[in-house]
Amino acid sequence: MTILEAQPAPGGAADAIGAEPQEGRRPRLMRGSIPHSLMLNRFPGLGTISLVSLAFLYVPMLIVMAFSFNGGNQALIWQGFSLRWYARVFTDASIISATKVSLQVAAIATVASTVLAVLYVLAMDRLSRAGSAISTTILAAPIVVPEVVMGVATLAFIRLIGLAPGFVPLVLAHTSFCVPFAMMNIRACYAGLNPAYFESAADLGATHWTVIRRIMLPLLMPGIISGALLAFVVSMDDFMISNFLASAGSTTLPIYIFGLIRKGVNPSVNVVATLLLILAVVVTTATTLLTRRQAKK
Amino acid sequence: MTGPVSAGGGAKRGLGRLRRRPGGRRGPVRPGQLGVAFATPAILVGLVFTLGPVIVIAVFSFLSQPETGGGVVYQFSAEAYRHFLFQEDFVGNTNLDLRYLRSFGLSAFQALATTAVCIGLAFPIALWMTTKTSRVQNLLVLVVTIPFWTNLLVRTYAWILLLSDRGAANAVLEAVGLAPRQLLYNSGATLVGLIYTFLPFAILPIYSALAGFDFSLAEAAYDLGARKSGVIRRVIWPAAAGGVMSAVALCFVPAFGAFVQPVLLGGGKVLMVGNLIAAQYGEARNWPFGAALSVIILVLTLLGAFALLRLAKRSSQKVSLAI
Repeated sequence: MTILEAQPAPGGAADAIGAEPQEGRRPRLMRGSIPHSLMLNRFPGLGTISLVSLAFLYVPMLIVMAFSFNGGNQALIWQGFSLRWYARVFTDASIISATKVSLQVAAIATVASTVLAVLYVLAMDRLSRAGSAISTTILAAPIVVPEVVMGVATLAFIRLIGLAPGFVPLVLAHTSFCVPFAMMNIRACYAGLNPAYFESAADLGATHWTVIRRIMLPLLMPGIISGALLAFVVSMDDFMISNFLASAGSTTLPIYIFGLIRKGVNPSVNVVATLLLILAVVVTTATTLLTRRQAKK
Repeated sequence: MTGPVSAGGGAKRGLGRLRRRPGGRRGPVRPGQLGVAFATPAILVGLVFTLGPVIVIAVFSFLSQPETGGGVVYQFSAEAYRHFLFQEDFVGNTNLDLRYLRSFGLSAFQALATTAVCIGLAFPIALWMTTKTSRVQNLLVLVVTIPFWTNLLVRTYAWILLLSDRGAANAVLEAVGLAPRQLLYNSGATLVGLIYTFLPFAILPIYSALAGFDFSLAEAAYDLGARKSGVIRRVIWPAAAGGVMSAVALCFVPAFGAFVQPVLLGGGKVLMVGNLIAAQYGEARNWPFGAALSVIILVLTLLGAFALLRLAKRSSQKVSLAI
């Protein structure tokens, strides 16, 4: 593996330039190989705790998935495999319209926050030290401030600037809290790029925008895509902030299912929950693969 | 408030691994980069839609309540903060009112218990993960990350399904010969929901702190005669401490302000601060009081974060409060 990775990939000039010095990778290999057998013997019980905890994380969700295929009218009594609740959900007008609102908000917020994040990342090295500290804090604040507080604060703010709850405030708020999530992977991807690419392109006569368009953006693409995917999931999932900002006509999917869940178990919720779960699995796997492929380059 | 950010491998690679290149602000724009003006839209959005609302809520907390309905009247008043501790009875006497303080106490208890259990589980899990081959580690990070990105309502709903009267948990109880009981709609169910929500938040930063750990240090400690407990306490724990501090912040802060779990799993009987705040903007229609509660939470959060950063600085740990 070491030999393979140390050789420049036969993929062409760009790859050859990009081959990182192999020293940087060595500790990573050692970490996996040495302690493996040793640690497991020496810390008994770790494996049990971990596996039980992972089961704790997954079993409840697997039960929801299983019950989404239940044929009966009761959410909790198994009456044979059936897709009837899927059919019911896919034809349920309220669920469809709530999903539409969620998708529209998420689509706009994803594009907007990703564009903002890319521009910020490409320019952030030029911020002064204080400027970058302040802006990092502001941009990361939505992650740290309790969501309820962010929700009521945004509602108060929206009212103050003369907007009524509805679609526009939803889009604005979602864009804002998606920026840090979109930025995480773009920033990580950017940090892994070799500046030599851009300098050689410039030396070879590429104009500033050509360097950005033809070299920077393509290299940044795995980060951009995974950042956009995460922003999309965060927007699709948000309940707390949306709950304060939505109006009757702009009920998002999480708000709608919160109403259903509040009344107790419900076979339709099993189906919607399963679909949202699949979304999380797909997006998380895709982002992980994208970032990992980039790390290997 | 956020230091360099370094939680989780894989998808959760940090916000803050900022690589400073030569040139800085004064040099010409380097190839592939953009001028500083292009950073402003993102900062502006953050300023307007994050800082703006926080400032508004701080101002609202010092305004008065209108006679009827929600909103505020632009007249200075500290009534909202007084309302937090005191209550006026119908003859005009002011009495100490502990209801709201109790909500804070309950929130603090729930958040502390959540944090303690999550860290207690996350540390061994993170340690276990680092003992695996890197391929398995990557897979495990993915396994921990998936719940992290799964809809909060879905994750909470899963527990309603499990704990409801005819749910799986009662079926298990019956199978082992115990009488089924009401498991849902109490503070225990709320706590389980909170732990379930925040466990991945605890695992990822601790794992990322330990992921670079050189286990030959542990071997050396063994060779020098340390026992298992000594190695964990004096070699591995210090390496994980920064991650543990991040994990504490990432569990405690959102758990303290939790809304969804107390409503859905506590069934409205468990009144945490988050519910109290939301109620002021819903049924209770007392915006200034809701704003005051928010400010109190925010100040407590900031103080906590500040104390954590001080502590981290003293023990020269790198702590990040963002994912």
